[in-house]
Amino acid sequence: MKPRIGVFVCHCGLNIAATVEVSEVVKAIEHYPGVAHAQDYIYMCSDPGQELVRKAIREKKLTGLVMSNCSPSLHERTFRNLAASEGLNPYLVEVANIREYCSWPHQGDKETATKKALTIIKATIERVKRNQALVPLIVPLQKRVLVLGGGVAGMQTALDIANGGYPVTILEKEAYLGGRVRQLERTFLTMESAPDLANEMIDRTLKQPNIEVLTTSRIENLSGYVGNFEVQIRQQLPWVDPARCNGCEACVAACPAEVPSTFDRGLTTRKAVDWTPGERHGDRRIFLDHAACLRVTRQENCTACREACAEGAIDYPEDRLIDRTYGAIVVATGHDLYRKSALTEYAEDPDVLDALQFERLLSEDGPTGGKVLRPSDGKEPKEVVFVQCAGSRDPDKHFPYCSKVCCMYTCKEARRYREKVPDGQAYIFYIDIRSTGKGYEEFVKESVEKERLLYLKGKVSKIARKGDKLLVLGGDTITGLQVEVEADLVVLAMATVPNPGAKELARLLNINTDPYGFIQEAHPKLAPVETLTAGIYLAGTSQAPKDIPHAIYQAGGAASKILSLFSRKELVHEPLVARVDQEICAGCGYCRDNCAFQAVDVDPIRKKAMVNEALCEGCGACATACPSGAIQVKNLDSKQVFDMISIVTQDYSMQP
Amino acid sequence: MEEFEPKIIGFFCNWCTATAADLAGTTRLQYPPNLRPIRVMCTGTVDPVYILRSLLLGADAVFVGG
Repeated sequence: MKPRIGVFVCHCGLNIAATVEVSEVVKAIEHYPGVAHAQDYIYMCSDPGQELVRKAIREKKLTGLVMSNCSPSLHERTFRNLAASEGLNPYLVEVANIREYCSWPHQGDKETATKKALTIIKATIERVKRNQALVPLIVPLQKRVLVLGGGVAGMQTALDIANGGYPVTILEKEAYLGGRVRQLERTFLTMESAPDLANEMIDRTLKQPNIEVLTTSRIENLSGYVGNFEVQIRQQLPWVDPARCNGCEACVAACPAEVPSTFDRGLTTRKAVDWTPGERHGDRRIFLDHAACLRVTRQENCTACREACAEGAIDYPEDRLIDRTYGAIVVATGHDLYRKSALTEYAEDPDVLDALQFERLLSEDGPTGGKVLRPSDGKEPKEVVFVQCAGSRDPDKHFPYCSKVCCMYTCKEARRYREKVPDGQAYIFYIDIRSTGKGYEEFVKESVEKERLLYLKGKVSKIARKGDKLLVLGGDTITGLQVEVEADLVVLAMATVPNPGAKELARLLNINTDPYGFIQEAHPKLAPVETLTAGIYLAGTSQAPKDIPHAIYQAGGAASKILSLFSRKELVHEPLVARVDQEICAGCGYCRDNCAFQAVDVDPIRKKAMVNEALCEGCGACATACPSGAIQVKNLDSKQVFDMISIVTQDYSMQP
Repeated sequence: MEEFEPKIIGFFCNWCTATAADLAGTTRLQYPPNLRPIRVMCTGTVDPVYILRSLLLGADAVFVGG
């Protein structure tokens, strides 16, 4: 059938027309071979503009369209949908980008720009002549979600999705849920108990029948794509069987391996086999931490705990590898605090704590049973200095960013300290107080007045041991004076950093991180819960420092994106994929070897290449590798490219 | 004598260079019109034959952006 192509040249107001002589282009193109209709209009994307296109498709029985206007990223979809509604296959529509590629960058050279526009249009006409009508591929959608991380953000995402009726798996690297919130004493603003808050959420998570929780587990391998992620999970099977354990602690007594408790941030020690941290937590049980066990750390065949156990609850099974398919993945891997030792001007001292260590000191289930006692000698500190922005907002030496939550939690911690030590004094060194949030400013004001917190605007330059005191040297920029405080205890509001391993995880998931290792969102304003990989979403502090309410907002956002994805019956995949000419293919497998998406394979019996269209991204690496031209990308095959090259290598002219 | 104006064929990857060229246009960056763009889905599809063909047919240079 002879092609009957319609060419529509848009003025885009003056955006195109001021540089490209649109009417000249139409005059030159209307007699070009294969063109059945050529027309210009001031705004082709407007309703009357689209009506012109519809009318031409109907009346001229067009077999293809060349839309000469702005970038395909803007209106390719518009005009393809339009074509489809007129019964013309949308894949017979191509865009000739004469705005971004021509009129805008060549504003001073009207004559050449007009000729260049004509060249771009002619090349696109040649492409459309060989375009084929295609139908989008239907890809099945696995309506099952994997959430990485069992902190509040991960649990909230899982609950929202599970309450919507879809199965969710939470992978948690620790032996327990709750994340950082579990380590806190109170939460700011309402001053409610953080363990209670975490407990309540853990409880709901464990009771929700659609949620499966895999603790001491991590993702080992990932392939596939949105709707069909093939995930391999490595689960450390518990070496203490919770069903048989009666909590007698004989194993704890027998265990020779004693390590600093990561939960108490080194303020206490634990045995390799010991209780899960946090006495107040309902999911408490004895577990064996592989990372601390001599069987792992020293490769010793220690069986002390197994021998001590009268119930036969202890054994040492190998890790379990689980293969699963998920439709979507949520990254909620949380954060850590910057290491204190990085701040070399501050003494490494048992009484210089980071903010999470201080939370443990405040906590009833912490090392001191909730009494504020300093680690060095167990005395109650009467003068406590809090240092904000420890590592944050310091572009020269540490991190340029604001860690966002420290102003608020420092205020809360100082307030709690004063409530517990009424005759104590709290000093807070700060750069600014950033209390932006509903009720936040009021909280700070109230705390300052009620607890007589002494805020000093300035940085702390040095912390040094002086007898049984810590000498804190700082500046007060308001009075312009140097300040010296002899403190009993110092609390550093260390910068928030991503959890170790976030970068490695990002690489495994093929998503990006920012320069500091936080997971990069797809767009800071318009897509803050998505990553650039379709089907992978974000929640909580893995993306950036944030407080609990913001983590919950983001978790809800990620869940709603996934629920909207799952409201479809199946997924649609672009049909612009590779196709194999079975007559020509010799089964050499070069295409398979060059495919980055594992989308091509060679049938071992027929010795012919086969394309898994759902995996194919249409990049064409296979076509380049093919020695015989048997494999080609649909609607951009070598014949089409050759035809386009023939056009674009001609001298610019106004000849049709 | 007329100034030499090279004829340059550009193969633009849809995901990066084509987007960058869009941005160049949007920000009104001015560059000479010698470059003739061909947008492809990935530079992986740019067969060496495409480059040779362009040169044979009179291109002075080929730009592969990806």
